[in-house]
Amino acid sequence: MQGRGVVKPPTGIAFDTDFGNDIDSFLTLAFLRSIAGKGTARVISVSISKANLKAAQAEDAITKFYEGPPPPGRGGAVGSPVGGNPDMVGLADNGKMANDTPILNLIVAKKDAEGKPAYPGSIAKLLDTAEPGLTIRNILLAQNDLNAVVVLDGPATSLVQLMGLYGVRPQITAKVKYLVAAIGSYPNGAVDAAIKNDIAAARKMFAEWPTPIIAVGSELGDALPYPATSIEKDFAWAVPSHPIVDAYKAFKPMPYDAPVPGMAAALYATYPDDGYFKLSEPGTITVLDDGRTRFTPGPGGKHRYLIADPAQKEKITALYTELVSAKPVPRAAFGRGRGGRGASGAGGRGASGAGGRGFLPVAPEPVANIPPPQE
Amino acid sequence: MYITGKALSRRTVLRGMGTAAVALPFLDSMVPALAAPTKSPVRLAFLYVPNGIMMRDWNPAVDYEGKFTDFPRAMKPLEAFRDDMLQLGNLTHNSGRALLDGAGDHGRCSGSYLTGIQVKKTTIDIKASISCDQIIANKIGSQTRFPSLELGMDDARQAGDCDSGYSCAYTNNLAWRSDTQPLPPTLDPRVLFERLFGDGAILTPEERAQQAKDRQSILDFVTADTKKLETSLGPTDRRKLDEYLSSIREVERQLEKAEKDNKQINPGMDKPYGVPADFAEHFKLLTDMMLIAFQSDMTRVMTFLVTREGTSRAYREIGIPDGHHPCTHHQNKPDLMEKVSQINEYHTTQLAGFLAKLKATKEGDSNLLDNSMIVYGAGLSDGNRHLHEDLPTLLIGRGGGVLKPGRRIVYRRETPMCNLHMTLMDHMGVPVENFGDASGELNPASVS
Repeated sequence: MQGRGVVKPPTGIAFDTDFGNDIDSFLTLAFLRSIAGKGTARVISVSISKANLKAAQAEDAITKFYEGPPPPGRGGAVGSPVGGNPDMVGLADNGKMANDTPILNLIVAKKDAEGKPAYPGSIAKLLDTAEPGLTIRNILLAQNDLNAVVVLDGPATSLVQLMGLYGVRPQITAKVKYLVAAIGSYPNGAVDAAIKNDIAAARKMFAEWPTPIIAVGSELGDALPYPATSIEKDFAWAVPSHPIVDAYKAFKPMPYDAPVPGMAAALYATYPDDGYFKLSEPGTITVLDDGRTRFTPGPGGKHRYLIADPAQKEKITALYTELVSAKPVPRAAFGRGRGGRGASGAGGRGASGAGGRGFLPVAPEPVANIPPPQE
Repeated sequence: MYITGKALSRRTVLRGMGTAAVALPFLDSMVPALAAPTKSPVRLAFLYVPNGIMMRDWNPAVDYEGKFTDFPRAMKPLEAFRDDMLQLGNLTHNSGRALLDGAGDHGRCSGSYLTGIQVKKTTIDIKASISCDQIIANKIGSQTRFPSLELGMDDARQAGDCDSGYSCAYTNNLAWRSDTQPLPPTLDPRVLFERLFGDGAILTPEERAQQAKDRQSILDFVTADTKKLETSLGPTDRRKLDEYLSSIREVERQLEKAEKDNKQINPGMDKPYGVPADFAEHFKLLTDMMLIAFQSDMTRVMTFLVTREGTSRAYREIGIPDGHHPCTHHQNKPDLMEKVSQINEYHTTQLAGFLAKLKATKEGDSNLLDNSMIVYGAGLSDGNRHLHEDLPTLLIGRGGGVLKPGRRIVYRRETPMCNLHMTLMDHMGVPVENFGDASGELNPASVS
């Protein structure tokens, strides 16, 4: 159902990730939060397929870091979130806790000079999170038709859970333009850990997901890495520390360039028509028993994959680094305003508006110093 | 247990002159001699209060097992039932949210409360879905005189705009027989009384006035049948029957008083003939009859729309001349918040009276509350901000043994309210594969 008399807001991105298993998930989240801060797209939900509370806590902390201080007056106004629960994070709960990773431990445990959390969040327990499938479903229903994109950076577990909800497939078809899935290797390649972690889910997703799928392979992430030099020079403004810098350094010994297929997926989801990538011909992706993926071209296939364009590498790298190292954009007060009171589809994670948990106080700013891509 | 040679039928009715018909409560004599004890039926009732609840007054402190250790203000009147209730946290009605339909949270939240779907924003061609109580009534309703009963205290308008383009049909009904057919609640206790104990005919005001003039108790009409029955009952059943008939007589007296008071207070008032002006009196009359209807197994499914969403009813009974709904948009002003707190507490005080009677009503080796599932809740949590998550929800009673009350259970955020509805349908013997936006039944380990 389309909203009535409401301007269609920017694309809403539902981000599902195995947050904390690698640095790509951190960088992709930072990229998306920064994009949302600019008003180019909205982060409508974040769900985590890694069943680890620290993953949700770290995600929450990084989101709050990028959003800046909370707006005033949030408790006094009328206007329910249009579809999401303020500050909600979807988190897998399969009955057993997945392993902590050093980057999660660091972000959650780090203290400032006063002994307070360096990166504060609001998630204390599992009950502060929601099932990933419900998180995604509930927020998708608040989106204008075909105005949402799902970005997957990790196993397909949450999306299969979503597909299992009663009556949800037509809803996905109505709301989601396509799924951009950073999973696998194309056209044929090595085993992907994200698939290996849940082969059945990957198979089901590629076979049954009801919208077109744009796959982003590990080869693309390798070709367009996030540069270590950015970590060393672009975050000087962040005093005393920045969670992405801390996480990056904790993930592997510096210096290293990080493969970021998740960021590529987020970039394509935000700027699908800007020529940053080439697209394969249509076809069908299948998942082999050993966790490898195979792309079979064919007319009418619902799958494509992104292909790196060397000519765009410099621009993409500049975009990545500028957005990830951007300062937070302050949020405006909750309630009336842009997309205020019960705004249709304009809210995301949290308040009614166009910028994720909060919404923009001013008109979106263009991303500075980034030349448009060459067609 | 008193053992008779021949069991009395569970559906025995005292009949008399005219149209009087009084169903009986569950008596020992209804159990065949030497038979295994009969399992009492499980009853389900939904009591809905509007405009959210002051959540600061709602969530009690609990120990590590979830047992209540403290009762905040709105829960305080229910402290005596600490071992009889589950307080459920984080249940959400996503379909009550705007979902692109703009303003109208009150209309949506009551429309979706038992139907589980996003109702169509319209004042003309209404569309919801069959409500969970009616799914149950369709399945088990043939076993009782009434498949279900729908009660309310506020507003029975079925047309017009009651909230930002939402039909009054959404705010003024809880039960829906189908997508397009709400079941309006009975507001007038006299009408309900006549439904329960008469032939169902609704009298005109003139006929009522004449009847009142020559009024006799409904029990007077069934005296002969009563006496005849008493001779076949043991002492325990005779006492039970006496208590039961006394409760009916008490309802009659309250009705007569309300009707007399109405005349004295304002003969020109547009309230239905038997509707008391006083909130507590009205609530008591209706819930007393709910109890009788459950006790005599006239029905096993009821909905009670205490007042409707967006109601601006004043509570002068407790010194609040302001409308309920305006108070709930308190914008954190302490004086308005205090008024909402008082109204919430007043509501749970009335609920406590009903629960006490259910608990005091013996049924077999148990009591009526133990054999019931009473859901008390609202379609909004924070009425100031119109939030549709963490809906205040109490599940009271033991459902005939399927529930393990005495705890607060907090589910994960966004857990669909429809999961509770599916669970309740299952406990009523009507399992369904899906309902509304449910993701499944509530974790059985959590409630049983």
